[in-house]
Formats: sequence, structure tokens, C-alpha cells
Amino acid sequence: MSVKMLLKYSAEALDKPILAEVIRQTSAGINILHAELNATKGEMLIGVEGSPEEIERLIDLFKGRGVDARRLERTVELDEGSCMDCGACLSLCPTGALHITEDYSVKLNENKCIMCEVCVPACPVKAIKVFKPF
Amino acid sequence: METAKTYEEINQKIRDGDVVVLTAEEVAGFVREKGVEKAVKEVDVVTTGTFGAMCSSGAWLNFGHADPPIKMQRVWLNDVEAYAGVAAVDAYIGATQLSESEGMEYGGGHVIEDLVRGKEIELRATAYGTDCCPSREIRTTITIDDINQAVLLNPRNAYQRYMAATNSRDETIYTYMGTLLPNYGNVTFSGAGILSPLHRDPNYETIGVGTRIFLGGAQGYVIWEGTQHNPGKAMGTIMVIGNLKEMDPRYLRGCTIHKYGTSLYVGLGIPIPLINERVAQTVARDEDQIKTNLLDYGVPRRDRPVIREVTYAELRSGKIEVGNKEVPVSPLSSFKMAREIAEKVKKWIERGEFFLSSPMELLPRDTIFKPMRQVAEAPLVRDVMTEPAITAGPEDTISHAARLFAEREFNHLPIVDEGGKLLGIVTSWDVAVALGTGKKKLSEIMTRRVITASEDEPVDAAARKLEQHNVSGLPVVNAGGLVRGVITSEDISKLIGRRVK
Repeated sequence: MSVKMLLKYSAEALDKPILAEVIRQTSAGINILHAELNATKGEMLIGVEGSPEEIERLIDLFKGRGVDARRLERTVELDEGSCMDCGACLSLCPTGALHITEDYSVKLNENKCIMCEVCVPACPVKAIKVFKPF
Repeated sequence: METAKTYEEINQKIRDGDVVVLTAEEVAGFVREKGVEKAVKEVDVVTTGTFGAMCSSGAWLNFGHADPPIKMQRVWLNDVEAYAGVAAVDAYIGATQLSESEGMEYGGGHVIEDLVRGKEIELRATAYGTDCCPSREIRTTITIDDINQAVLLNPRNAYQRYMAATNSRDETIYTYMGTLLPNYGNVTFSGAGILSPLHRDPNYETIGVGTRIFLGGAQGYVIWEGTQHNPGKAMGTIMVIGNLKEMDPRYLRGCTIHKYGTSLYVGLGIPIPLINERVAQTVARDEDQIKTNLLDYGVPRRDRPVIREVTYAELRSGKIEVGNKEVPVSPLSSFKMAREIAEKVKKWIERGEFFLSSPMELLPRDTIFKPMRQVAEAPLVRDVMTEPAITAGPEDTISHAARLFAEREFNHLPIVDEGGKLLGIVTSWDVAVALGTGKKKLSEIMTRRVITASEDEPVDAAARKLEQHNVSGLPVVNAGGLVRGVITSEDISKLIGRRVK
């Protein structure tokens, strides 16, 4: 399965190679989607590919190193009642999360979304919502 | 050309319930298999459809008289101004007019959709007051049921085809063709291709004044050629009318084109009677025969450079080649909705709910689309830039630059290589800040990502760059990257000074 996770670093954890340590101990695939690590903030959004057990273990691995890891339940939503299937979003989506089906319906594959938000303002009827946790 | 069947014969078949209707997609297959002659014999009507942003749209509204009466001079609907220079309580709300409080988030297109949805709309008007209409201001709320007439009247709809767009600049641009990514990062196009109503009758043999059509979910009419009608270039348009009170919000959607403005997505469909073989021939043409040009919208001029010719079949595939890379394509109009409209018109005709009307007059086929007559030509960067530019090399010292600024009284120093190619820029401010830092060479303080202008760019475009990037000067470079001059906000101020004189 594929999920997105929000990591919150404490100030003490910021200068430690925690992500590298965790990656070495798991077989889950980790993709950094967004990171903001500075004097006032320590947040990272990651995409994780792995079995439910691995994902649970990953959360423990982070927590054991002082990083709060939380699975995001809602990440992105396409309001199909409002969407006109115009396709304005299609060429802006870098991962093909927004795609068109054989009958020319615009669909969203939530797993592929990296929450870049380029589509959000480009949608003429504002049918796409990204729930960025920060 | 010999007429195979008349409008009356087709309408009789509709009454009798034995009319044969195919959509434009279906007829292409029919003709491929069985030929044109059979199509004319066996098929009566071909339905088309399109659903896209049509900026040249709007609605006439009549509010009825207030007590005491008001001769409305300016009118706002949900804070979007409507044109009221016609009598006392008539107004035209245009799709692209922006809200005075919400800007691009809400506009005339949204007002029209909200009216059709039956929502309450805030009406505000001001007036100068007359003996017969003394009221000077009014505020009330209305719904579409409260007002007398609500008539959708769109001056230019259903472009036969449209240009595809891409962007050569190294920055994202926001256009009426949508968001265009840097360095030819994507392509957008509009139009329904094989279902495009006017492209199914490109000789304008059946579409004319009085043609009954599907408009916004109701039955409407073509009333004239559309503005900018240019059939010789396969860019014909139509002016259309319909009763807004009968329309369906599924087929009329207010929209915002990001950082461009508001518009209205309009659903429109035209049934094309197969009156002769030529009509049957053109109505069945495949999408790979519909060509258009891919234009570079990175060039902010009326005549944008053509990158290449493309077919609607290629555009529809979702990827096309630009240069030697494959680029993703966005349609801006919904093919799914276009199909739904063509199917709906087909059902209406089959059920005897929609009859064909013979046009009272066909649309002209020889009009051309003229550019605007401008009494003064828009100035170009080359007309106001300072040239030749004073330049320096990256290895030159900061004190050398300080001396240049002091002696020659200017503020923007392009840094070039030995061949004169732009590497960066140093401003007098950069030099002032660098004093006391111990830095020596210009390469240490120059800005490497430089916003530039080109000589044949309009001054207005350069001014927009200065504003957007919050800089005060742009090196002017040619296609080879050689520095030709510098244009600064001061140069542009001088130009405005000249205009005022």
C-alpha cells in the first residue's frame, strides 16, 4: 500500500541523520515530497510504499528517534460533482495522478499525488482540494 | 449541388418517428464503412456538441421598475458590474467582468451560473435621478424568477477550431489558454475537434441566421455570424441567443482562468441535416484532418510565432512532440461533455422534442478578421532602451564598477563573457552593499538569474516584468544571448512623460 506521512522533528532531532537511519532499517520505499527544516519548523512530508506492518514499524522507528510520525488520512480530493472533465489540470500534474480515462472522464489517483498543488488554482471551477498538513 | 432532402422532409420524419440521427463521431465510422452516398440516403441528421470556456458570453436582464422609479446608470450583480447604458432597468452582464470585491475569484460568468441555479443575487444600482425617475440608489436581492427577461446572448461562441498554446519562456505564464509551464513544459488546446459544430459544416451550408441549436441545456438560436467570424481561416464563430430561464447549470458554468480572469463554460450543440453529399462528406471528416497551429504564447504579441502544425487527433492523444521532446497536453474544453451534448440533441430529435429550422440566411463565408487600427504604434523596447549598454566582465573588480557608476551615472551593469554574452547583472545598490564585505570581483556579487527583455518586445511587456519581479532594469538580449542594451524603469517613465506632452 501507499500512504503519506507527516514527520515532525523536534529541535534536538534536526541535525541528526534520522531519515538515513530509518531508511536503512526498512524495506519500505520512501519519497520526500516536501520538507521544511529550519530554526522555527521541522516538518517533512513523505510518501511511503510498503505493507501495513512495515508502515506501522516505520512509525515506531521514527518515534524512537524523537520524530513524531503521523499517517495522513486525507491528502487530496477531486470533487466529481463539480469537475467538468475539461482536463485543464492534466498537463500540469507532474506524476499523472490526475489522468483521463477512455471515456474522457478526469480521475484522480490519490496514491500518485505528491501534493504539489499546481492543479489547485489552475482548475477553472476549483474542484481539487489538497489537504496540506502545514 | 443537388439537394438530397429538405428540412421539411426531415421534420416530417421527426414527426413520424423514423428520423435517423447519428452523432458526428458515429457518422465518421458510418461513412468509412458504407460511403458518402449511403450516408446521404440513410442518415438524416448529424449532431455535434462543444463545451468550453467562451469568454464572449453574457446575458440581458430586465429587472422591472422600482417604486419610486430609478433610471439605473450603473448596476452591480453580486458586486460584478453590468452594462446599464440601455434604458432604465435593462442590463447586460458579461462573463469576463470581475467582482469589485473578490477580483478574479468571482465574475460575470459566476453570476450567470448562480442565476440559472436559482440563487439569490444582490442587485445594486446608482443613478443621477430625473423628474420621472427620482431614485438615486437601490439595493435589493433578486432571483431569476423575479425578473422579467433573462436572455443569454453571446456575441462570439463555438469557434470552429482554435490555436493550441505553449510557452518558450523560462517562467510559468498565466494566459487565457490556461497555465503554461516554462520551456515548452506543456501544451493546451480548446475545441471539440470531431464534435466541433462549425467544423462539421465548414462551408456554412446549413448553419445560418435562425438555426435552432442546443444552448446551455435549452433550445436557442444562431442569430448572426459571431464577432471575429473568419471562415476562410477555418475560424468561424456564431452569435447565439437563448432563454436563460430554461437553461441548466450543468451546461453553463462560471469559471476562473487562473491569473487571467473569469469566463463562462458554455454547452452548445448544432444538428446538421445531411442535405447533400458535400455536407455528408465534411460532416464525417476524421479528427486527424482537423489541423491547427501550436503557438508560442511566451511572446506577448498579436502575431505569436507558430511552433508547428498539429492535428486534433494528436492533441487528443494527450502528448505531442515539441522540438524533440514529448510534451503533455491539456484540453481546456471537455470532450466528455461535448459528447453528452451531441447525444442529448440526438435523443431530443429522435423523441420529436427538437425540430430542425431552415436558416433564413446563411452566414457569410468571406468575412475577414482585421487587426485593430492603432493611431500610434505601441513602442517597443528597442525604441526606449539605452544602447549600447555599458558592460563589464566577471573578473573585473567591484571598485571598477563603482567608478563606472559614478562617472557614467547609471545603475544597471550587465556582466558579459568575452563574446558579449550575458552572464549576470550588478546594480549600483549591489556595489554599495558589497563595500566593506571584503569581496573583490564582480562575479562574487552578480545576480546570475537575470530577467531579460528582447528588442522587439512591447514596452508594456517589459514594464510588466519589472513589476512582477520587483526589479528596476532589464538587460536587453538578442536571440544569441548577446547584450544589446538595457531598459530601466527610468526609460519607461521618460516615455510616459513624452506621451503626456
